[in-house]
Amino acid sequence: MVFIRDEFLSEDDLDFANLSEEERDAWCNYWLQLAQQTNDQDADAYSHGVFMFMREPR
Amino acid sequence: MNIYTDLTNKFNAGRVRCILSSGQALVLHGISLMSKDGDWIVREDDEALNHILHVLERCGARCRFGAPLDTRWLAGGWSSHFEFMTGKLRIRTDFVSRPPRISKERLARIWVEHEKSALPFVDLEALADLKKTNREKDYAIIGELARRITDVESRLLYSRSAKDILELYARHPEKTRVIMKERGITQKMLEAQDALEAALDAERRMLMHANERRLSRYAEAAHAWSEIWNDVARDVGGLSLLAAHTRIKERAETVLPYAPAEGGV
Repeated sequence: MVFIRDEFLSEDDLDFANLSEEERDAWCNYWLQLAQQTNDQDADAYSHGVFMFMREPR
Repeated sequence: MNIYTDLTNKFNAGRVRCILSSGQALVLHGISLMSKDGDWIVREDDEALNHILHVLERCGARCRFGAPLDTRWLAGGWSSHFEFMTGKLRIRTDFVSRPPRISKERLARIWVEHEKSALPFVDLEALADLKKTNREKDYAIIGELARRITDVESRLLYSRSAKDILELYARHPEKTRVIMKERGITQKMLEAQDALEAALDAERRMLMHANERRLSRYAEAAHAWSEIWNDVARDVGGLSLLAAHTRIKERAETVLPYAPAEGGV
């Protein structure tokens, strides 16, 4: 029987460990720029901390 | 360098005042599950908080709705939130001094370990505990973090894979029995993959509900503060961050308890 390992994350997510510091930073900066596209959608949301069940009052 | 490591360096100029956490720490552990926002564990002392506020003021930051960056609220497990623009990038900085699921003693050890770190970020075990949230996806991250932990006992403590645990059980039966017992997993469950998987699923649900209850307590405790926040925001409009933060603290003192009911964290 073939042993199939449980998979948690994609290969792309895990491949990060093979990048140099410069490559990693370049990718992070690029990703952060792309992620700005959702600023309107998460304008009043929280991604960390104890206010994650709340929205920022506007 | 990216903006969050740059900020960490500025926050820690001359002294380690904060430890990079969450998504940015994952990046530094080689896992590319990034967050748009930066999250730090901050030292719970006035000098550290004052220094961070000055750095944020130089960045042109504003206070988001949240607790003041003040030891009285932070000690109650609250979080503080700031935001600024640099070029076209929206940067958010989130701070806690009492991260959830990390005991006081362990937190003290973390600070000692990072006393001389050039770029302090939370270790695999602490990150795994921080990820025990109410979000399903965080348990996949914990599963991956566990695989990177070299210590067998710690790996057993955090593993989310029944197959991984059974593999460790075959090689380290006694250690596995002891650690699994801590997790509420009996020897009988260790004898069958199905039973172990069901136990891991139940554990995940229990952890998710515990975090839901924790966040609900804070949301309830912050209700009155949220009701007056628009007025507070108008009150501090046009002020520098430092002046605004002082005013926000005064207003928060009237409605935001230092800790939620039932002790908080």
